[in-house]
Amino acid sequence: MYRYDEFDDTLVRERAKQFRGQVERRLKGELKEEHFKPLRLQNGVYLQLHAYMLRVAIPYGQLSAKKMRQLALIADKFDKGYAHFTTRQNVQYNWIRLADMPDVLDVLADVEMHAIQTSGNCIRNVTSDHLAGANLDEIEDPRPWCEIIRQWSTFHPEFSSLPRKFKIAVTAGETDRAAVRVHDIGLHMKKNAEGRIGFEFIVGGGLGRTPFVGPTVREWVAKEDLLSYLEANMRIYNRHGRRDNKYKARIKILVSELGLEEYRRQVEEEFAAQNTWEKVVLPQDEVDRITAYFAAPKFAALPAISAAFDAFKAGSREYARWAKNNLRPHRTPGYVSVHVALKQQGEAPGDASSDQMRALADIGETYALDDIRVAHEQDIVYPHVKLDDVPAVYAALKAAGLHASNAGLASDIIACPGLDYCNLSNARSISVANEIQAVFADPEFEDDVGTLHVNVSGCINACGHHHVGHIGILGVDKKGEEFYQVLFGGRADEKATIATIQGPGLRHEEVAPAIRRVIDQYLTLRRDKSEKFIDTLSRVGQAPFKDALYAAA
Amino acid sequence: MSSERPKLGPDIPKVITAWLSASGRVVYLTADRNWSEELSDAEVLTGAGAVDILAWAAKDQTRVSDPYFMQVTLDGKVAGRETIRETIRARGPTNHPMFGKQAGNN
Repeated sequence: MYRYDEFDDTLVRERAKQFRGQVERRLKGELKEEHFKPLRLQNGVYLQLHAYMLRVAIPYGQLSAKKMRQLALIADKFDKGYAHFTTRQNVQYNWIRLADMPDVLDVLADVEMHAIQTSGNCIRNVTSDHLAGANLDEIEDPRPWCEIIRQWSTFHPEFSSLPRKFKIAVTAGETDRAAVRVHDIGLHMKKNAEGRIGFEFIVGGGLGRTPFVGPTVREWVAKEDLLSYLEANMRIYNRHGRRDNKYKARIKILVSELGLEEYRRQVEEEFAAQNTWEKVVLPQDEVDRITAYFAAPKFAALPAISAAFDAFKAGSREYARWAKNNLRPHRTPGYVSVHVALKQQGEAPGDASSDQMRALADIGETYALDDIRVAHEQDIVYPHVKLDDVPAVYAALKAAGLHASNAGLASDIIACPGLDYCNLSNARSISVANEIQAVFADPEFEDDVGTLHVNVSGCINACGHHHVGHIGILGVDKKGEEFYQVLFGGRADEKATIATIQGPGLRHEEVAPAIRRVIDQYLTLRRDKSEKFIDTLSRVGQAPFKDALYAAA
Repeated sequence: MSSERPKLGPDIPKVITAWLSASGRVVYLTADRNWSEELSDAEVLTGAGAVDILAWAAKDQTRVSDPYFMQVTLDGKVAGRETIRETIRARGPTNHPMFGKQAGNN
């Protein structure tokens, strides 16, 4: 994990100090809200439905136990004893007083954390694969490159006032767990014909009002050119991105309106025209320095099979189910990655209490090499756990109420805060998610259904990623009543696809029964148990599922 | 991206609501030009003069942020197409009954 040097520490503390002054001026009435708003947003402070909300950056989703405990402390001392992990690997607090924000930023700075650039029209928190450094199909650890981009983009003077917000994600596995094709810029680390590792540049993806799967602007960019090529893209966007209409201001609209070929031509022209003095060529010693912070931990030499783990799985159906659904293979023999679904039945997806956060920290410190990740599915992941320790990890998770055995299944729902918290939302998301979860409350039924991604958003801004759910749910307002449009066929992985809206919206109480009918249709139509919902949908088409969706309407 | 509220004509009963600048708590404008956390304390406005009161509220930026019209019935109950939003805003999140004004701990 990257550690702050003196410059990082000074920068974050000075920023907190600066914001303290701005808050004081606001509270004295020396700053009006219209002038204060862009300042608070640059520090991650939103004004939501009930109170101020603070969004804290978790760079590429990685935490230590110390950081997690500090997040729990903030929840207890300044909020209401819980926090919400988001689809961009950040964490949010819903009830912090503005007057307390500067103190919270100081508390964050004590553990090398901040809320800088978690809002506003700038480059946001860089996200990545939550299994980076552990998974089997990775050609290189993407986190050093995330960190390099983070350092380059933090307070970058040229890109601090973009037409709109800008999101970058980096992945290095064959399987895309970072949803790079639906980001403003997605970087997929790949080898070129000579076997050198570089970056595929995917530009102009995104969700929201106008969803796009991003096209590839360049198949391969050398590592030393990463920042220069990023700058070339950012400059074209900064120059030509629309500022007259916020709904058409994202880079996806620019790429779409210019056309891929013309956009690419302009980027390549800008890239080629960069002067030697302005070209950001990454010095290898600096790359090496940053990479060293992400060196693989010292794994024990262990057999691939663990008697303790095998006995655990054989111990009960409950243990076996959790192990089957929530563990992921690790590249090192004797280790496994543990997926902690923050998706207990009836709880808000992504929420964790301060006690649970401390339990997560304790487990991370004791059993997971002090490496804790936030997944964009709003879950927590321990990338490195000994198979021998899995029984103890499960026991600790269960004691904390964090043992949901549904990772990747239907009740592991992504959902935004929706109208219960969000000032932009049109409809509630959490209650709909909870009602859909209840459809799958029977573990045997949920296991039978298998892999199914259900994503719920409370408005068109799509924070719940409804466009890329196998089943997406979009809350809309219809003359003051909550309705929910249902989408089929989205996916956020390397086969990224934008889901299709099926038709008229359903009333709140109609959604969960309709999803049950769709699932029953799937169970009827699938070739066999190995064919996932998304694959059956692709094979037979959406019509029979749409029929089932509206069967009782 | 800001949230846009529906426009309310002069004949529609309304109150002015905002957020306290220091805490972010939801408040309503009273007849004596103070801000109360209780909707029942709010002054119900009708007629063209409501616009002038909103303009006054918009200048009260030390105490509150982003005031706007919220539709109510003549006796001050939440009404109109934003009933769900404003009910949640007045009470607290429906999924967390232990938080917000509904729990007396906002």
